[in-house]
Amino acid sequence: MTALASERMTQIEQLRRDRPRSRFLRWSLSAFVLLLVLSLFSGEFGFEQVFSPRRLQNLENFLTETLPPPIRRGEGLAAGLAWASDILMSPKGFPALGKTLAISILSILLAFFVAILLTPPGSRSLACPEPYLPGLASAKGVRSFLWNVCLHFCRFFYVFLRAIPEYIWAFLLIQMFGFSAWPAILALAIHNSGILGKLFSETVENLPPESTIALRGIGAGRAQLFWFSLFPTGLSRFLVYFFYRWETCIRESTVLGMLGIVSLGYYINDAQATINTPEMLFLIFLGSGLVLLGDLFSALIRYLVRHAN
Amino acid sequence: MRSKAELKGKPFPVGIRGWVLISAILVGLWAWLYLGLSPRQLLPGDASSIGRFLAAALSPALDSQDPGLGEAVRYIVLQNALHGLGRTVLFAAASLLLSILGGFVLGFLATSTWWAGDTITSRGPLRRLLRQVFGPTVSATAKILATLLRSVHELFWALIFLAAFGSGPLTGVLALALPFAGTLGKIYAEMLEESPSAPSKALRDLGATRLQVFFFGRLPAAFPDMMAYTLYRFECALRSSAVLGFFGYPTIGYFLKLSFENLYYSEVWTYLYGLFLLIFLVDAWSGTLRRRLAT
Repeated sequence: MTALASERMTQIEQLRRDRPRSRFLRWSLSAFVLLLVLSLFSGEFGFEQVFSPRRLQNLENFLTETLPPPIRRGEGLAAGLAWASDILMSPKGFPALGKTLAISILSILLAFFVAILLTPPGSRSLACPEPYLPGLASAKGVRSFLWNVCLHFCRFFYVFLRAIPEYIWAFLLIQMFGFSAWPAILALAIHNSGILGKLFSETVENLPPESTIALRGIGAGRAQLFWFSLFPTGLSRFLVYFFYRWETCIRESTVLGMLGIVSLGYYINDAQATINTPEMLFLIFLGSGLVLLGDLFSALIRYLVRHAN
Repeated sequence: MRSKAELKGKPFPVGIRGWVLISAILVGLWAWLYLGLSPRQLLPGDASSIGRFLAAALSPALDSQDPGLGEAVRYIVLQNALHGLGRTVLFAAASLLLSILGGFVLGFLATSTWWAGDTITSRGPLRRLLRQVFGPTVSATAKILATLLRSVHELFWALIFLAAFGSGPLTGVLALALPFAGTLGKIYAEMLEESPSAPSKALRDLGATRLQVFFFGRLPAAFPDMMAYTLYRFECALRSSAVLGFFGYPTIGYFLKLSFENLYYSEVWTYLYGLFLLIFLVDAWSGTLRRRLAT
């Protein structure tokens, strides 16, 4: 090895040794990977049971039952299509899809509303004694104890809202409000306002502060700073998150029907309970069609919003 | 700034923000009417039971509220909660492991850049065919597969598996793993595609093979983001695995549902607090990790 090459090697070795390292990061990630691997071998999940004869028998029954009855009886594709369109036209089809969609829309609108109201007190840059003061406007600004309490209370409230899954919220709310669409709407709104609140607050903290500082300079208060500068500047990013969460709302609102609310899930659960496998699969298929359409629409809007300016 | 003369022909100037607001109100109104909602439905039917439920928040139970069981078995609710939370973590971890494997394969196959952009210049018709036809086909198929897996909710997968195999812990894990693999596959692919292409181009010019370009050029740059996203999905997996309990799997949701149906509200609150604490801790831990990964 020539002298030059070996010098190069030492330099590379030095670079490798100087790379940023964090003990916390390394231990945490190792523990995480260990947890994932050990969980599979915890003895909780018996792989050997999967192919027991009883299960294979189950599977065989299931597979023979999946085809729609007209096709199973050999009446041809036209009869199968008639079967599908019958389901589509019944309350299980389009009306259920419409209700699923309506629930998702109302819940995300409600979540947006709640989240945007929680955003100013939950943003580090506004929840401080002198927000956006010209000449003093670093990201942290001046802190005070009471404003810190307000900030951390909001942050904790976000976690509280989003920690409990929608399904469990809905399960609890149904006992309070009965089987109208409200429990589903409220459950989705509670969970998503926690998520949107967190995302919105982080967005507000990272917005370019110039226009807000200018507004503060001419004597605007907190509410004015938020509604006339931060909100309009951040709106396109808020909308991106809004549509991203709306996708998930559609997905979840189909499922919440399984608790007895009339969205698609209600009929899917019904079909499962009456062992009507073909109908169950068809309705699940319909639901995933709705989710796909929602995804496409929201991706389109997000693209338009991103490229608006 | 528009001049007065410019605005003269437009009696009601509505900007893009105005249109967003107006369409949101209209769509919301449609949804409201379609569902036939009225605020009166929000008046609780049975106020006293709601009162009892909310009051129980202040007195979570450690012992069973079942008078027959009562104090005979000490701390049975606490034991159930720990047991259920443990199973919740196990289900989430096992399914996340499977979905990371699946998602990585999907993301690897779906990364179109790997097949087209920064790989070896093609020589000969066979290689060109490989690059122009085979590569994009594989990539598109992987993307479609990921989307299909994702579009069916994990609880519906659970229903399908319950119908196909009967109950059993492994079916629950699979039900969680499939949609999560789809999501991870999609996000991994996007992150791999968006990572800077300069290192892989340099490797290609040095004569590295496709696999080397992928593993030493693309992957290292995207890895921290992929890791951070996976940690976030672990939180989601915990929530979903808690809900799986409602379908008879032994996670925390199972105990919660049982206690609620027996009207043992103090027990319900113990389980809710337990779940909240678990998610809160994991959220704090993974949030710190993600911030470290980002720098």
